[in-house]
Amino acid sequence: MNERPNGTKSAFAAAASAVGRWFAAAAQWVGRFFVRYWFFIKKILIAIVTLACSTIIIFFILRLIPGDVVREYALSIAQRRGISYDAAYEIAVNLLNYDPEAPIFTQFFKYVGGLFQGNLGASMYVDGVTANSLIAQRLPWTLLITSVALIISFLLGTAIGAFMARKRRGVANVLLNGYIVTSGSIPDYLLGLLLVLLFAYTLPIFPAQGNYDISVCTPGFNLPFIGSVLYHACLPILAYVLSQTGSWALMMRGSAIGVLGEDYINAARARGIGNMTINRKYLKRNAMLPLVTSFAVTFAALFGGSTLMESIFNYPGIGLELAQRIGQKDYFVVQGIMFFSSFMVIAINLITDCIYSLIDPRIRETNK
Amino acid sequence: MVENQIVQPHENIVEIEHAVIDYPLRRYTIRAVTDVSLSLKRGAITALVGESGSGKTTLASSLLRCISEPGILSGGEVRFYPAEGAPVEVLKLSPREIDRFRWEKVSMVFQAAQSALNPVYTVRAQFEETVREHGMKWSRERIEQKMREVFDYVKLDYDRVARCYPHELSGGMKQRVMIAFSLLLDPELIILDEPTTALDVITQDYIFSILKRINREKGISMLLMTHDIGIVAKFADYVGVLYAGRLMEFGSVFDVFRERRHPYTKGLIRATPSLIGDLEALKPIGGSPPDLRNLPQGCVFSPRCPYCTDACREREPDTAVQGGRCIKCIHGFEEYE
Amino acid sequence: MSEKQSVRSDPNGGKWGDFLSRAGSTFAALGRTIKNAFVKLFSNGQACAGFCIIIFFILLAIFGPMIFPYDVTTNFSMRFLPPSWEHPFGTDEMGRDIFRQLISGTSNVLQIAFYTGLITVAVGTLLGIISGYIGGIVDKVIQGLANIVLTIPSFPVFLMLAALFTIESPIELALALSAWSWAGLCRSVRAQVMSFRERDFIQICAVMRMSKFHIIVKELFPNIISYVLINFIVAVRNAITGSVGIMMLGLAAYDPTNWGSMLERARNIGLVNPKVIPLLLAPLLAIMVFQIGTVLLSNGMDEIMNPRLRVN
Repeated sequence: MNERPNGTKSAFAAAASAVGRWFAAAAQWVGRFFVRYWFFIKKILIAIVTLACSTIIIFFILRLIPGDVVREYALSIAQRRGISYDAAYEIAVNLLNYDPEAPIFTQFFKYVGGLFQGNLGASMYVDGVTANSLIAQRLPWTLLITSVALIISFLLGTAIGAFMARKRRGVANVLLNGYIVTSGSIPDYLLGLLLVLLFAYTLPIFPAQGNYDISVCTPGFNLPFIGSVLYHACLPILAYVLSQTGSWALMMRGSAIGVLGEDYINAARARGIGNMTINRKYLKRNAMLPLVTSFAVTFAALFGGSTLMESIFNYPGIGLELAQRIGQKDYFVVQGIMFFSSFMVIAINLITDCIYSLIDPRIRETNK
Repeated sequence: MVENQIVQPHENIVEIEHAVIDYPLRRYTIRAVTDVSLSLKRGAITALVGESGSGKTTLASSLLRCISEPGILSGGEVRFYPAEGAPVEVLKLSPREIDRFRWEKVSMVFQAAQSALNPVYTVRAQFEETVREHGMKWSRERIEQKMREVFDYVKLDYDRVARCYPHELSGGMKQRVMIAFSLLLDPELIILDEPTTALDVITQDYIFSILKRINREKGISMLLMTHDIGIVAKFADYVGVLYAGRLMEFGSVFDVFRERRHPYTKGLIRATPSLIGDLEALKPIGGSPPDLRNLPQGCVFSPRCPYCTDACREREPDTAVQGGRCIKCIHGFEEYE
Repeated sequence: MSEKQSVRSDPNGGKWGDFLSRAGSTFAALGRTIKNAFVKLFSNGQACAGFCIIIFFILLAIFGPMIFPYDVTTNFSMRFLPPSWEHPFGTDEMGRDIFRQLISGTSNVLQIAFYTGLITVAVGTLLGIISGYIGGIVDKVIQGLANIVLTIPSFPVFLMLAALFTIESPIELALALSAWSWAGLCRSVRAQVMSFRERDFIQICAVMRMSKFHIIVKELFPNIISYVLINFIVAVRNAITGSVGIMMLGLAAYDPTNWGSMLERARNIGLVNPKVIPLLLAPLLAIMVFQIGTVLLSNGMDEIMNPRLRVN
């Protein structure tokens, strides 16, 4: 009799303490999670803020577009669908994500709301074509070209740069130096133009344009298609690689010369570590670290530059689409694509930052 | 017959003969070491003293044949006598042989121990890499056991330090890691290139007590480069004095400190403060350190030497040898004032 | 030192004399600095070659049109003539001389590049110094802005700006080009300033309570000026790449003799036609040579400043 309330009390206390312990454990776990991954969490937060700010910037670029464009578009909708101007204007505003007559804050929230729903903006000239659909169609081609070119040129360039730093005399160095200067001085799209002229028209080895040959294959996962895609991608990739490798090599050379002066290289040599290992694990590994940070910047440059490169090769990637749409003054698609590309650059920046902190143990400590 | 004979190891562990080391630069060549002959006694601690730029580090690296670029050993011989087997001509080893020779016979603790470890790998990874690069098929357990042993010598906690990256260690710890590292493959000689320059006095003392113990217990010979006379007096058995790439004086610490012969050595000792001595009595050596691009005629020390004669300015003095002691001075072993 | 001496040497000169002698000595110092800079420049082969190439193009832009005036009249009987003594690069689709077109376009190309370089460097350096030296919230805002600009790919923005505003003069195109290219420079100048801020001589200035303006202008700026100059050349190079690209896509085509416009015309005629090759190659070659000049000059200056990079 006496014990029951006591028992319930103790049971209650036990339960409470169990819950309390559970909460404490959970809190501790969350705390530890935050402490351990704070570096990454901070990076992600910064990325989100940057994205928000670039949205504002793009919104202001959007506001540079004269408002009449929307009214003309509404008129054309009204004519095509036979509805009143006001109804057509409503449709136009929703499609374009932009209402030039509303107050600026409403405009902005409408724009951001549209972005959150995944509506990046519609074409004013072709019904049913939106930035989203264009990105889905075109982006893979651009990504194929730029990422393959970026990886090849990075690997090749760092190898050349490390070699040049190690052997600073000799014919090979002079030749490579010449290559670096020339490749750094020809804009990549002009190099592309030269390659087209040489290998597509003068010596018809490679195709001059397009992404695959519809007459020899059907799109899908089959060998002729993949072969055709690679065949068509050769020249653009070659153009990028030829022009990018030089700048990677230059950066790597500077960085590697710095590393060669470090004490740990000499110490490793005194320890009887073979030349191969020193080159790979001491020189290249350490000299490459600072280069990883320029990966994202280079990607942004390639991505932006793809506008010109794809125009040269008539390669139906996102860059060619962008150039054509700007030429047609189809601004809302353009800003959608630009928003998306800045999103991608931010994402890649974030990824390279994280990779960098994984491969350089020093960064994790200093940035905490 | 030969098998039963117990071959006594040579009394010297290293003999350097007439070493000349040049740094060819763009317009001129700098001679960092000029005609230095030196033999290191087995099991002893030999110190080389000299100001910065006197060629200590360069001479030491020549033992491992890893003089920093673009320096080259343009003359002389370096002979190493292992405990067992035939003497090794270090300068005639093939690249493959020299890689094995380094660290297995002679290892080194660097002046810049703070940055002598690769920053992107853990301490353990670098120890394991060194073992593997020397073609030794040790298991992970064996490596760990060996690492524990050498870490014990320098009083480091294996479990804490081995998985650290270099930047996570303090200066003194890094220095001790480097000493442990030098013991890893049981070398016969350890070169200590100013092993305590970047450390405070207490850590310095601690490190030298560790080194002394290693020398006594393992019988490893040591070659110490320093500019600290106090350390030499306390720690070393033999001492050599370098000036402008020349060996000015060599002998046992006892002899050299008791009978100060060479004017430069005298100056060095007189310029060293001591706790009980009179600070006012300290006398710095006049003049400035030599410029290797533009050395004086005759004896290189003559412009700063208080006992300089006309003959000193004319030709470089020969080295006078007397019972394991040598002096490169015109006055030789005579008394002079 | 020299200032004091010259002041003392003219004790009765009054205010004007004082001012003049001060100005004179300042000019003399400036002259010495410039002379030293040139001596250094010519001691480096790369820098010297690059400098000569660029000077050649500048002279070509100024005096070229006087020596080889460009005749715009079309003459269809002379279409697509192959290279000859009279027409070193042949003629274009309307029978006009390509060589003279090239020369007449030089001034336009160089003007765009020069203005762009100037605006980019001015904005980038100014913001970089402010951000690096003043720090705090100003630094955060400027760096945030630079970060955003860096994340939006620049070339599409050039195109967008070129399409939104009708561009009719080099300075307008330069404004459009530099609007998006100052950010990288701003960041690196900030890094330079930050490293200098920690150095003793700047710290001492702060301790001596010199004004921030004085420290920036008199102490900081002279130390980063060569770095800024190199970046000016890099900005010029990027401006040429960008402006020629915009012109080649047919946007901002206000000058048909601009090298980019020539490329655009060649591409519009079609590369299949082998007769078009001179019209394509001539501007390409000109761009290449000029860009090699800028690369050599900036690399050479880099080597002069960082001797460790030197090949030997």
